[in-house]
Amino acid sequence: MAEFLTLAEAARRIATRDLSPVELLQDCLARVDAVDDRLCSFVTLTRERALAEAKSAEAEIMAGRHRGPLHGIPYNLKDIFETKGIRTTAQSKQLADYVPDADCDAQERLAAAGGVLLGKAATWEFAHGGPSWDVLFPPCRNPWDLDKDPAGSSSGSGASVAAGMVLATMGSDTGGSIRGPAAACGIAGLKPTYGRVSRRGVLPNCFSHDHAGPLAWTVEDVAILMNVVAGFDPRDPGCADVPVPDYTAALTGDVRGLRIGVPYKWIEEEVPASAVTRAALDAALDAYKSMGAEVVPVELPPLAQYDDSKKIIAIAELFSIHAEDLRRRPALFGDSLRFRIIAGGLVRAEDYVQAMRLRTVLAQRMQAVLRTVDVLMLPTGEPAKTLQPVPPETLFTKSSYTTAFNVGGNPALSLCMGFTGEGMPLSLQVVGRLFDEATVLRVGDAYERAMPWRQRRPALVS
Amino acid sequence: MEETTAEELRVLAIQAGMGDLPQQHLEELRLAWEHVRAMAARIPKDRPRGDEPAHVFVPTTFAREG
Repeated sequence: MAEFLTLAEAARRIATRDLSPVELLQDCLARVDAVDDRLCSFVTLTRERALAEAKSAEAEIMAGRHRGPLHGIPYNLKDIFETKGIRTTAQSKQLADYVPDADCDAQERLAAAGGVLLGKAATWEFAHGGPSWDVLFPPCRNPWDLDKDPAGSSSGSGASVAAGMVLATMGSDTGGSIRGPAAACGIAGLKPTYGRVSRRGVLPNCFSHDHAGPLAWTVEDVAILMNVVAGFDPRDPGCADVPVPDYTAALTGDVRGLRIGVPYKWIEEEVPASAVTRAALDAALDAYKSMGAEVVPVELPPLAQYDDSKKIIAIAELFSIHAEDLRRRPALFGDSLRFRIIAGGLVRAEDYVQAMRLRTVLAQRMQAVLRTVDVLMLPTGEPAKTLQPVPPETLFTKSSYTTAFNVGGNPALSLCMGFTGEGMPLSLQVVGRLFDEATVLRVGDAYERAMPWRQRRPALVS
Repeated sequence: MEETTAEELRVLAIQAGMGDLPQQHLEELRLAWEHVRAMAARIPKDRPRGDEPAHVFVPTTFAREG
């Protein structure tokens, strides 16, 4: 197969006319044709449309009208991002025939930047219930080992980038759904600050915690995507009118003087990290120290409090979104999603409001700690496990390292932190101050440059 | 915490507009509800009267054009 290119490398070669967008697309399509019947990362492939867009991009560039680094770059969108004229199913039988009549904000921005939409990526049902074998499409698999879980819910986004089928993608994250698949698939994924990237046209999971954000092979690629998708959208009521910096300009490679906080209590006592994950985290922290950063312990409220607050709020909002379908045609939901939302109808208004009041306290505590350090660091999660049905109640009983930052609204990046002895990716999470994605990306990029992890691709496509 | 009885669950389901749920889904509701009830019980409730929830009405959102 053709060599793998990062988004940044492909963009540079396209800009200098050393690479044709049509050739690049054909390389991506060759990988799709070779492996996606086993990987199941796409639920809809827009081959003809993509070819037309790639040819159009090539013609524009040859005529001297180069739009920027996304021009001619193949990408896909998680199948909860509405796309005009292309079905958007949320992986659910409830929406098997839903074809939106308008594009979401992210698609508008990516299309205007000259990107080439190759299709829609697999997700968990409505980005919440999964993995599932009883919904509209089979679950996506992990390109590093097809028996392993790519995590959810932006499963197809993570897997398709890792397998080199697209160079960019957009996912959503309500409790970890960008960072989890990025971690399991060994790529970079950023949950931006709440309100930094518009969610207009993204089917909701839980309004108060939903974030849209990019995934790509490298942190630099994520920064390029953020330059396109970040920005105020008055038609998203949660979107923030805050100036957007040039994220690629922030990638200096310099972390001297950086103060890194590590919530050791979370990873040692509350949800103990495995030995392999802890060893990789310690090695990553040592790498930062050798680059001139300082590492200090920090103490945050218990993970379980963040989880309780988020899950009570989420299940009430989820029920409100799906109530009529639950009443009229509950069997059209997969078992996993239905179990995870059905009790939301029984949550009392008092419990919802008290959970929202707790969120205020927890978010304030998070920002207070982040005033004492520049970033937090911890694992995103454990390496991918076997893909198999998960008891749906685990959503209620297990805490993660990711949900707290949906509660706080803070930007949180997952990037590759090496590999296990079995060749599965390990993951590092970098969390920043509100609207300071630039620092988070700078810190992640500096590590990525210093480590060899970006030189390895899944054997499936190598 | 005592388990919700079948009769209590039936009343709660009716109040939520799910009085017609098939039996298999009622059983799912019962199992899920026990987890959710436990989470809700752990949320502190002894707050000062003036404590605002995390999202309140933000009028500037509605003053925007769009």
